[in-house]
Amino acid sequence: MVGPNGAGKTTLIRLLSGLAFPSEGTVRLLGVDPQVHPEVRRSLGAVVEAPAAFYPWLTGRGNLRLHARLAGGVADGRIDALLAEMELTRDADRRVAVYSLGMRQRLGVAAALLARPRVLLLDEPASGMDPLSLHIVHRALQDAAHSGAAVLLSTHHLDEVVRYGDAVGIMEEGALIDQVDLAARRGRYRVVVDDVAGAMAALEAASWTTSLTQRGGAVLVQLRESGDAARIAPTLVAAGVAVQALSEDVFDLRGYYRDRLQAERDRRREVAQERVAARAVEAALVGDEGAGEEAP
Amino acid sequence: MIALLRMEVGKVARLASTRAALAVLAIFPLLWAYAPGVFDVYGLFLVSGFQVPALSLLSSMEFLMPLLIAIVAAELVGVEVRTGTLPTILLRPVTRSSWLLAKMMVLLVVPFLGMAWFLAASLLAGIPYGFEGFVGGTGLGAGGLAGAGLLTPSAALAEVVRAYLLAALALVPIAMLAVLATVVTMNAASGALATLSVLIVMNLLVIFPGLEPYLLTRHLSAYADPVAGVGWMVALLALYAALFATVAMVLFERKDF
Repeated sequence: MVGPNGAGKTTLIRLLSGLAFPSEGTVRLLGVDPQVHPEVRRSLGAVVEAPAAFYPWLTGRGNLRLHARLAGGVADGRIDALLAEMELTRDADRRVAVYSLGMRQRLGVAAALLARPRVLLLDEPASGMDPLSLHIVHRALQDAAHSGAAVLLSTHHLDEVVRYGDAVGIMEEGALIDQVDLAARRGRYRVVVDDVAGAMAALEAASWTTSLTQRGGAVLVQLRESGDAARIAPTLVAAGVAVQALSEDVFDLRGYYRDRLQAERDRRREVAQERVAARAVEAALVGDEGAGEEAP
Repeated sequence: MIALLRMEVGKVARLASTRAALAVLAIFPLLWAYAPGVFDVYGLFLVSGFQVPALSLLSSMEFLMPLLIAIVAAELVGVEVRTGTLPTILLRPVTRSSWLLAKMMVLLVVPFLGMAWFLAASLLAGIPYGFEGFVGGTGLGAGGLAGAGLLTPSAALAEVVRAYLLAALALVPIAMLAVLATVVTMNAASGALATLSVLIVMNLLVIFPGLEPYLLTRHLSAYADPVAGVGWMVALLALYAALFATVAMVLFERKDF
């Protein structure tokens, strides 16, 4: 989930996690209202603040033990495994009060992962994180996603979203204005060739491509598996097509996001202007009628 | 619930306000036992160690004890807001009501533990005066400090313990009021001040004589000057505590975090 500050990302996550109440409408987490069925939070892991808040007088391990008890208990060794995954084993028995920002953030993600949640909600968990901590957190979230958890992440790190996300939603002024299927845009390569038609024909015959798009003097090739990228150039050369450049076609989320937000803001401005104009016309009509009545 | 209770017991013991309150309660009786001006200013002449607890209680129930209990209760709730741990805990499969109920259950006990500590400190401060039988009163029974004849050590101790128990009981609704005020303000300092404000206003309501027996503040001195029987006092204080706790619970259930 991406969007400018104030777009409603944090509110959405707080609503989903049951920390806030909707002024209208309903919230469903795994099919039930988290306020009415708090037990659904057994399947939820969340970081709603960065860094996540812990009792400063307890150690990192002590805080995780406390969370484990509140979660109804976790398997033996789970706390140690998470501390190791978050590279906090060495500092596990130090009080959280002396933890750095990055350490507290990693501990927050560890607490969210504690009960092997089916749903993970994270509000900017990597805000202000150093690159190593960022890598550790993203690796842990990827592992959780691969093991079947749904991960909803609110972030401003657009490059990370493109690298790790399956889909991205763009929010603006409390509304979801767009969704992009990132998984479908992964495994796409751009080949610049001297003979576009020949390249299209050669690649169309290959079983490892799923779609081809012509764009100027280049062909965009969507592969079934990213590993098949190495087969593109040999196939084209074998068909007598000269390959001038071959690169992964990484989705430009930054540019897309900027354009999409600008378009949305323009649209809202137009709507607002139309409303003002309509009100002005309405006021003028009422004024005319009033003047007509007063006329003798 | 057990996990929540354990957590809250550990927390209340670690609060800065709890430690400060315990220190104040330990030092306060020494003023009555050893301050040189006490005899001149108040015209008191202590003849027994049992009179020190009485003087400690009589001089603290008006303001000091309600203040301390309000601060501790407000901080027990407010510390979660200040440290930001409240949302983190509520993300667990813990209902809001059970979270607040655990705090309230701990706060039901805190006034009694505080009073036990205060009594122990007062008795220790009274050691130089001795704990034998004496002619006079503890200040908490018939005849005040002048008493009504010879008082045996066991009778004196019973009077003192009974008074401290009743005083602790009167503090329970104040703890619940502080929880309510902190739930409303979501700030420990504001919660404690709001509690004191309510008590001050309630104190002024004695200008309506018909209301007096029902005022919470009136019962702060009931250990020495009861309005009615103990049963009536317990029922009224329980009603106040239940009312404050219920309103706090209802408001907390609909708070956004």
